[in-house]
Amino acid sequence: MTEYFEVIDRDGAARIGDLRLAESITTPALIDDVLTDAGSLWTADRSVPDGDEETLTVLPHRGFPAGTPDEVQTAFDPAVPDIEYPTAAVVTPETAADHGTDAYVLSGGSGLVGHSEAFVDAIVATRESIPPDAGLYLPGVATPGNVATLAYAGVDLFDTDRAVVRGTQGWYLTPDGEFRLDALDELPCACEVCRQGIDEFDREDCLEHNVATLEAELAAVRNRIREGRLRDYLEGQARHEQWLTATFRRLDDQYAYLEQRTPLVRKAEITAASAETLDRVEIQRFAERVTERYRCRFDAPLVLVPCSATKPYSDSQSHGQFQDAIHFRGHVASMTSPIGVVPQELELTYPAQHYDSVVTGRWSETEIEFVVDVLEAYLESNEYPRVIAHVPEDYRAITERVEERLDREFEYTVEAHPTTDESLANLSEALAGKPKYRKRERQHNVIRAIADYQFGAGAGEAIFGDLQVESHYPKLRANDADGEQLAAMVPEYGVLSLTLAGARRWIESDVPTKRVEIGGFVPHGSVLAPGILDADESIRVGDEVVFEGPDAFAVGRANMSGPEMARSSRGIASEVRHVTEK
Amino acid sequence: MSQPSPEVYERGKGMDAHNQVMREIRSRNDASYEPDEPTRVWIDRDNTPDGVLDSLTIVLNTGGCRWARAGGCTMCGYVAESVDGGTVAHEDLLAQIDTALDQERETHDGTCRQVKIYTSGSFLDEREVPAESRQAIAERFGDRDRIVVESLPDFVDREKIADFREQGLETDVAIGLETATDQVRHDCVNKYFDFADFEDACAEAVAAEAGVKAYLLMKPPFLSESETIEDMISSVERCGAVEGCHTVSMNPTNVQRYTMVEQLYFDGGYRPPWLWSVVEVLRETAEEDVTVVSDPVGHGSDRGPHNCGECDDRVQTAIKDFNLRQDSSVFTQVECECERTWDTVCDREKSYSLPLAQ
Ligand code: SF4
Ligand SMILES: [Zn+2]
Ligand SMILES: [Zn+2]
Repeated sequence: MTEYFEVIDRDGAARIGDLRLAESITTPALIDDVLTDAGSLWTADRSVPDGDEETLTVLPHRGFPAGTPDEVQTAFDPAVPDIEYPTAAVVTPETAADHGTDAYVLSGGSGLVGHSEAFVDAIVATRESIPPDAGLYLPGVATPGNVATLAYAGVDLFDTDRAVVRGTQGWYLTPDGEFRLDALDELPCACEVCRQGIDEFDREDCLEHNVATLEAELAAVRNRIREGRLRDYLEGQARHEQWLTATFRRLDDQYAYLEQRTPLVRKAEITAASAETLDRVEIQRFAERVTERYRCRFDAPLVLVPCSATKPYSDSQSHGQFQDAIHFRGHVASMTSPIGVVPQELELTYPAQHYDSVVTGRWSETEIEFVVDVLEAYLESNEYPRVIAHVPEDYRAITERVEERLDREFEYTVEAHPTTDESLANLSEALAGKPKYRKRERQHNVIRAIADYQFGAGAGEAIFGDLQVESHYPKLRANDADGEQLAAMVPEYGVLSLTLAGARRWIESDVPTKRVEIGGFVPHGSVLAPGILDADESIRVGDEVVFEGPDAFAVGRANMSGPEMARSSRGIASEVRHVTEK
Repeated sequence: MSQPSPEVYERGKGMDAHNQVMREIRSRNDASYEPDEPTRVWIDRDNTPDGVLDSLTIVLNTGGCRWARAGGCTMCGYVAESVDGGTVAHEDLLAQIDTALDQERETHDGTCRQVKIYTSGSFLDEREVPAESRQAIAERFGDRDRIVVESLPDFVDREKIADFREQGLETDVAIGLETATDQVRHDCVNKYFDFADFEDACAEAVAAEAGVKAYLLMKPPFLSESETIEDMISSVERCGAVEGCHTVSMNPTNVQRYTMVEQLYFDGGYRPPWLWSVVEVLRETAEEDVTVVSDPVGHGSDRGPHNCGECDDRVQTAIKDFNLRQDSSVFTQVECECERTWDTVCDREKSYSLPLAQ
């Protein structure tokens, strides 16, 4: 059972953790100074160490260096003793398992750095085999250049070994690369030892600088994780080395691993600055849900419009002009890279109003292909009588390809630019004679569209079949026919938060539910991992979850994924919003 | 305790695993050898109890190491099936000796005072070298002063040694002890005899008025740099304390083809020892009552013991110098910035983080 490590915050596979020694350490962090090595069993038998609360004791081990054949690992892997004090077990991806220790030391790291495939396979396999609330230590490899990527992949604990060794070899390390000390004309750093200038700067200084820089980079990484923006940082930072870029690309291919660890909503904005942005879980998830869960409930032509820099789109000047011309006679969907297609009801839903992209009017082939795929799938799952493409010239590469693939024709209304009088008149003209839909219909459809997106296809009707909407967009309240509140819309993320009545309707419906089974207690404020007996695999951070136990029924928002809830022995699993005793 | 036959060695799951892996790795090698050609012949200068002598050194092809056929030692690239059928005929063995003698005549002025015969197995194992061949070879070299023959401890027997003593040859048995630490010899090297067997072999040699030269292996797989230094220092000390063992030859591992060590090396999990580590052990044990020599094969290359590339030749020269003079002041002359890196590695490297530096 994990006793001396706790996960506090998550950003994808990266975490903020607390190594709970006598003096607690916030991870990702360097742990050289708090390690006690009980010794290698390759050279001698070792007695089980006493351990202490000040340090993390690495239990007697047989390290298996990179390339150790599986048979040899199996034959020589030692039993792990159970000690009261903070302990770590040495493992490989092959031997990793739940040993009941607080942390795990991954052996053979020197064979992984520089090799993205081996690295990603090893980290994913190890993380999946050890308890989610245990720390993962990758010894001997961290540098200021790679530590953000290592943390992003899911490593919590590091040491200064590599930074010091490189310093003794005359390598000056920075977050964006390694430089030969003797080839530098000046020192690109303001750390204490670098301030003396380059003239007297020797290898001892160099290793001090390397360690200081590694520490600073780890602080930056921790901040990024807290902000939920480590990925945005990496898309730029990791570019200085091929293998690091390759590593986060390969991690994107491990979609299941990342998806399970990526929250449903974040506060932070996504900065879409690279082609890899399209592969992010948040982007893929949105596209998948819009095309597979969402269903358009308006009986109106589809009007495709370009996105705007202002978010939500409806607050922008251009969209205001479009809306004036459309005047509730068409269903608006915005086309955008990197999100794909955003139906008007979901314009607030994360990440539709949480991204920032460099708008150049020049689409890369990858972006075009991405939006084409999404639009094609969108039109296949939604039946529109007509499609009006009110888009500028540079969007036509997309729309035309979709027309070709679906063998249907769109109506184009733009002359020169979407907001010219002529274009807007064309748009209005195209909708002439169409009926206008009502505000209430609009509001109902927003609630139901978000329900589909959040809970699954059909949830809009299943949970909100009889619906009355109160208050003003975007702070809508969803009540049932009798006026009892079922949910409220959260404008910041464009999602619904359920009441107990809403939660009951959800679990009584056919829509897949996210249930957590708890022990005999009444949770207040939050539910801790040890109180959880079982949790649905599909739960993600930020999901609405229903708690059921012998004494209580509750609803709240998850702080952990379902697998993490089920396998953790420490940490806050979920906030609880409403609870009732049974 | 131990019998060097594969049947008896198949004990313990660690050994099974090592053997299974090594058999598979060795099977990728398809080289084969002629039975009437020695594997290798060269001339050395060695520090012996009689002073520094030229030695005719012969690696006899005796049909290969039986242990290697079962799988064998993790670092040893000795070809398991070196000849078809496994046993080399008496005539072929003598033909190999003739070839070696021819080579000596061509490359050396006069006969070397010492002859060393290795077999990558056991010269004293009569399944490898029958008594008849052993006696004939002893006679061939009767005109020399000293002879060294390689053997595993189990085959060291005063009667067999007598064949050489009767020719008036000062005789040493070279034993591939690898390390005095049984655990390391078993689990890292996968060689299955105990230090006690080595002590028994030394007693046999002493009874035949012969000596023993122990061969140690610096840095088998799975050991960190500091662990291997410690292991070597204690091994030298323990060897020196055994009566009859007058010389220790401590040899850094080099990455041989078709071995487990090579597989680790390819995947980034093995680095041969630093030459500084060799120096450290020689320095630390200089006062021991035993001659310590080292022959770093392939020094300065990635696959051999090496430092930074700048200082390898200088350090190697100092080691060679030390071999002949046994005076550790030879090392005060060599310095290099990479010593600091080596020092850091010794301080920090663990079996779970190795290698920390290339
Ligand atoms: S080191 Fe000696 S015993 Fe071991 S496999 Fe090689 S030849 Fe055989
Ligand atoms: Zn600096
Ligand atoms: Zn050097």
